[in-house]
Amino acid sequence: MTASLRALPAVFSLGLQRQLAYRWNYFLRASFSALPLLVSWVFWGAVFQGRHTVGNYTFAGILTYYAVMLVVEAVSQPSDDDFQIATEIREGMLNPILLRPLPYGLYRAALFAAGRCAYLVAAAVPVSLALFLLTRATDLEIGNLNLLHGLPALLGSALLQFSLTLCLSLCAFWILEVSALIFLVYALEFLAGGHVFPLDLLPAPVFAVVRLLPFAYEYWFPTAALCGNLSEGAWKAGLCLQYGWAFFFMVLAHFIWKAGLRRFTAAGG
Amino acid sequence: MKLLRLWILQIRYAATRELMFRASFFVWVAVELAWFVIQLAFIGVIYHHVDEVAGWNRNQMIILVATNQLVIQMFTAFLMPGLTKLPELVRTGKLDFILLKPAPPAFLVSTSHLEIGPLANGAIAGVILTGALQSLGLHPSAPQFFAYFGLILTGLLVHYAVLMGLVSLTFWIIQAESVLLGYYTIFHVARIPREAATGWIRLVFTFALPLLLVANVPASTLIRGLEPRPILLLLLSSLLVAVLATAFFLFGLRRYQSASS
Repeated sequence: MTASLRALPAVFSLGLQRQLAYRWNYFLRASFSALPLLVSWVFWGAVFQGRHTVGNYTFAGILTYYAVMLVVEAVSQPSDDDFQIATEIREGMLNPILLRPLPYGLYRAALFAAGRCAYLVAAAVPVSLALFLLTRATDLEIGNLNLLHGLPALLGSALLQFSLTLCLSLCAFWILEVSALIFLVYALEFLAGGHVFPLDLLPAPVFAVVRLLPFAYEYWFPTAALCGNLSEGAWKAGLCLQYGWAFFFMVLAHFIWKAGLRRFTAAGG
Repeated sequence: MKLLRLWILQIRYAATRELMFRASFFVWVAVELAWFVIQLAFIGVIYHHVDEVAGWNRNQMIILVATNQLVIQMFTAFLMPGLTKLPELVRTGKLDFILLKPAPPAFLVSTSHLEIGPLANGAIAGVILTGALQSLGLHPSAPQFFAYFGLILTGLLVHYAVLMGLVSLTFWIIQAESVLLGYYTIFHVARIPREAATGWIRLVFTFALPLLLVANVPASTLIRGLEPRPILLLLLSSLLVAVLATAFFLFGLRRYQSASS
């Protein structure tokens, strides 16, 4: 185990180098991530015309939600880890990794962390620019972020997204092409995760169901926690559910990995 | 005429290839449908709180979103699969095979592949659109329908231009797969009612990059009837951006060094 931990910085460094190999591609990706904020500003501006609030949100409040979600996304959303894992399994690239004295989950976690760090650096300029422009146009409430509530939720979101990604991509042991499955879950994450709109805008009975699902804890919960939209009780209950789901998917990924390895055939030298 | 015959041949070949993977067809229909449902759910949530957005009521907004979906699905079926292969063709040098053929490379690249699944999703968007028209009590005339489909085809030119412009960056950037993300992100603008955008945003996305016209003009044609000025604007601007994007592709092509030694 100690040997595994000692190898992690090297894997992290490898992940950073891999991410930055195609810098322009990476920078473009980060730049495009700020564009939806422009669309939100225009669309919600029209929704709020002649109204002070929609649901519990003011115009500034809803834009703050989308702006903070950009940061949540940058910190916790896997980039192409799912496709990398699936490719490693499908194309037999798993063979050299299996020979290393390092658990695969830990190896992927180090690469995921490296990817998030690199992305944060790449996204810093475009996201800051977008936020700066937006603060010129409207009064964002990003000065009042609740970091005490937000940071543990942000970490929980990263753990949850990573473990869910691991579960999905490990299905490549059984399914040759997992991209359709991955995109289907993306769609669910976007809708039920609060990526498209804040989940508390849903009718109350629907919201009560959606907040029990894991997806709500990927985007909506950390964003709402950072924005300070949650009461102490709601935050504590949400944090328990979030870490509970993350633990569940980690255990599930462990079992999928064990079962998958039994099916895996390594060929070649 | 020769290009049309060539396109039909390419479609037949691509369709045969696609039909070899029937399970994949149904799975991808489900995936695309899920993304359309997201848009409809968003409309549902918004109109749960308000009655109209920029003068568009719920059913009008459904017509706008369904029209946008129709354009996207047609583009995804016929032109997008080929265009998204360009970065790989350039990186691996396989573009050589296309350049050797006696037809314009931009045409061959964009029509080389076909996806059948999006056509099914286009049909679903058509059903949703018909339902919204019925709910509004609208019965568009034959010229309105004719103009609507013509404008949808024109909208394809704008999609073509944006994606062609983005994937052509591959001549400068070795790996340009993230431009696809850019394409999807930019086209969020097309789902906004044109009246919602004001100031420089409206100007930019009407004249420089006519994304605000792609779905708005055909949808308005069904809802409000034939309006010559926006129709003409869409026709001219889409033609212009398509020509510019093709010119950009040809400019980038001059940098291509091929895979041969």
